[in-house]
Amino acid sequence: MFNKILIANRGEIALRVIWACKELGIKTVAVYSEADRHSLHVRFADQAVCIGPPRSLESYLNIPAIISAAEVTGADAIHPGYGFLSESGYLAEICEACKIKFIGPGPQAIRMMGDKSRAKKAMQRAGVPVIPGSPGVVEDEEKAERLAQDIGFPVILKASAGGGGRGMRIVRDTEAVKNAFKAAQTEAQNAFGVPDVYIEKYVEGPRHIEIQVMADAKGSIVHLGERECSIQRRHQKLIEEAPSPVMTEKLRRRMGRTAVEAAAAVQYVNAGTVEFLLDAQGNYYFMEMNTRIQVEHGVTELVTGRDLVKEQILVAAGEALSFAQKDITWSGHAIECRINAEDPITFTPSPGSIRYFNVPGGPGVRVDTAAHEGAEISPYYDSMIAKLMVHGRDRKEAIARMKRCLDVMVVEGIKTTIPIHKRILDEPDFQAGRLSTKFMERFQPAKRTS
Amino acid sequence: MNLDQLRELLELLDEREIAEFELEEENLKLRVRKAAHAPVPQVAFVAPSAAPAPPTLAPTAPPVPGAPAAAAAPVAEAGLEVIKSPIVGTFYRAPDPNSPSFVNVGDRIKPGQVLCIVEAMKLMNEIESETSGEIVKIHKENGEPVQFGETLFSIRP
Repeated sequence: MFNKILIANRGEIALRVIWACKELGIKTVAVYSEADRHSLHVRFADQAVCIGPPRSLESYLNIPAIISAAEVTGADAIHPGYGFLSESGYLAEICEACKIKFIGPGPQAIRMMGDKSRAKKAMQRAGVPVIPGSPGVVEDEEKAERLAQDIGFPVILKASAGGGGRGMRIVRDTEAVKNAFKAAQTEAQNAFGVPDVYIEKYVEGPRHIEIQVMADAKGSIVHLGERECSIQRRHQKLIEEAPSPVMTEKLRRRMGRTAVEAAAAVQYVNAGTVEFLLDAQGNYYFMEMNTRIQVEHGVTELVTGRDLVKEQILVAAGEALSFAQKDITWSGHAIECRINAEDPITFTPSPGSIRYFNVPGGPGVRVDTAAHEGAEISPYYDSMIAKLMVHGRDRKEAIARMKRCLDVMVVEGIKTTIPIHKRILDEPDFQAGRLSTKFMERFQPAKRTS
Repeated sequence: MNLDQLRELLELLDEREIAEFELEEENLKLRVRKAAHAPVPQVAFVAPSAAPAPPTLAPTAPPVPGAPAAAAAPVAEAGLEVIKSPIVGTFYRAPDPNSPSFVNVGDRIKPGQVLCIVEAMKLMNEIESETSGEIVKIHKENGEPVQFGETLFSIRP
């Protein structure tokens, strides 16, 4: 077992890793930028090392500083959290070279799944259903036009190296393809440094259903069921829940098996999530695989009773998974609202000092946060300040519980997205479980024709 | 201008390394001057007598105290310049274990002179002085780990 783990992250996920380490009796090292000097993860780790100025590039994305911090503190493993360097094949490689265990999959799996078009090809070879589309990167706009016609409109152009909704273009007719293709290439080049664009069928109003998988280094891969993450704004998730309101035991078995096959195809180890689009007919298509622990992992923990971060550490230390597929059961219903420091209408970031902070409690409530009264929410990092989770015996109770929590969660001094979450939960469509990735469009101002 | 706004302004000036700043508004005249070696800008806040006092917010709750594990930052004494580590690593006084130290307390140093090595990931990074003066204090021991921004030397110019 590891003696000491360095957490290459900040905020609530750094705390999450510290909690798991404390329970396992493992010492912790926090790294922090000058902006995070007074953060809770710095306070609660056994050791803390300042690695740079506030800018992420010079601190939390600074591999030499992080490795150096691991060396001077004698850490034998690094947990990368999510975001930042969690999907950096380069960091995973350097850790291997420096004999520091990277808590996650190997660099090959990270790179394979990080390249969306390579990932899709690997999935096709493994027999995983994928969205019809180009075999790989589309060379030029003439090819793009022909492919679009073959696939059938509407189609979506996507940046191969992309994510988070950037470098994407929906095209509904032949005339628009060439221009959209060139625009997507430029956007991809600017955002990700690589102009590679691929094309696929655009599934209208699908549900975003993802399957949590966990694999050990001895070849066992288990799925822990689905999370429904259809409530998204510009491809950023706002609300997640488990189980999905439309999931059946049969569909979960099928999708779970597919997700395990996807992970096996890349010799996956550790925690991962396979994302699917589910259409109205019940067909599901592989979208991408996230090779890290995710923000919304807590929702799965609540319905399965398993500690995924502890499992990550145990697996990385070479132990076998502490459960088999037959041991995984689901109980009740969990919902998570991501509370962001943003204006609830315009979504512009709202950094500042938290003057008053009240976190809800009571039965079935879990709040993962590094925020507190007096905390400075700086403009340098992601705007999420808390993950508000509830668990209830069924979806109805979970919704009532979440509404109760949103009513009494008080954050003063900065703006938060609590009001928009309340509105979403009041929507009849939400309460009826009628969700799709188009759900949030109702809150947007009148759309421009694309 | 309230206390929060003033604090934000001072942080901004500090970040941009602005040495002097003056602002005149209808009810307010503000002059900020950063002393050469002090880490905190000095503020002269001049409110014209005729104007009603601007509403001030009560000071915010004190921040959570810093981690006991983080190194306490030595206070920069007046008149001394400090040299801080630009990287995380291990501090060495000499180029190798068998050589004499680069510098000692009392030495006069010149800009560009190598003062120490900070080793990071097996690379020996030479840390050079940007100033001339006399070494008054060496804050770290040979072989000690150092963080980004940690004070290494105090120099009297």
